Amino acid sequence: MERLIFDAAAGLAILFAGVMVVHRHPVKSVLALVVSFFGLAVCYVMLAAPFIAAIQVIVYAGAILVLFLFVLMLLNVGQETRGLRRRPIQQVLASAAIVVFAALLLSLLRGHGADVPASVAAEAPGEIAPLARLLFSEYLLAFEALSVLLLAALAGAYVLARREDGA
Amino acid sequence: MIDAVPLSDVLLASGALFVIGLAGALLRRSAITIFLSIELMMNAANLALIGYGYALHSLEGQVVVFFVIAIAAAEASVGLAIFVALFRHKETIDVDEIHLLKW
Repeated sequence: MERLIFDAAAGLAILFAGVMVVHRHPVKSVLALVVSFFGLAVCYVMLAAPFIAAIQVIVYAGAILVLFLFVLMLLNVGQETRGLRRRPIQQVLASAAIVVFAALLLSLLRGHGADVPASVAAEAPGEIAPLARLLFSEYLLAFEALSVLLLAALAGAYVLARREDGA
Repeated sequence: MIDAVPLSDVLLASGALFVIGLAGALLRRSAITIFLSIELMMNAANLALIGYGYALHSLEGQVVVFFVIAIAAAEASVGLAIFVALFRHKETIDVDEIHLLKW
């Protein structure tokens, strides 16, 4: 059952990721990515990580992608112009690189994972307390550094986006 | 949990998402879409981390994903601020039009 739901959710995520890349209108790209991230959140629940799933929905789909939408509306960015391809050689090289990379990655991953024993009922799946204990003991320094990073990002975003005339 | 999710499924999904993100980042010209593709690649990596944490009965994977998501939030805010500043100067966010540092 878990496997069935995981595969369905992962398929949904991959499908809408494809929609996101193909769509020419950025707003629709963002909305497709929201659906993709919801699919990923379901995957995380199936992998016994409900806290990460909640964060995925709240922070990623709820905050980051809404920020994208906000900026898109602010800039009023329209459809990407199709235009003529001024640098066809770059497109060709990029496509070749993607194909080679995909072949390498998938051939690498295909045989992998068989040697790792399939999870047998992770005891008490989805409990947040052990995660919190780990986060606030072993990773406490990183956690605090993260708050400084977020503060720096806040200040940086303000400085970058404000008007030049000092308002 | 007789039929738990096998690691190979997780890795395959993660790899597929990463390749889609890479294609978007390399082939699209709208800076916003490129940025979205990068977010997608980060999520592919997150999925692999969670999958390994699940298969190996470890919580470390979830901790790392927690940090990745927080850093992605910081990165998105700064990146979008750069786009706003860029748009103010150039009136476009098409990466072919932005060639200040290209020869």
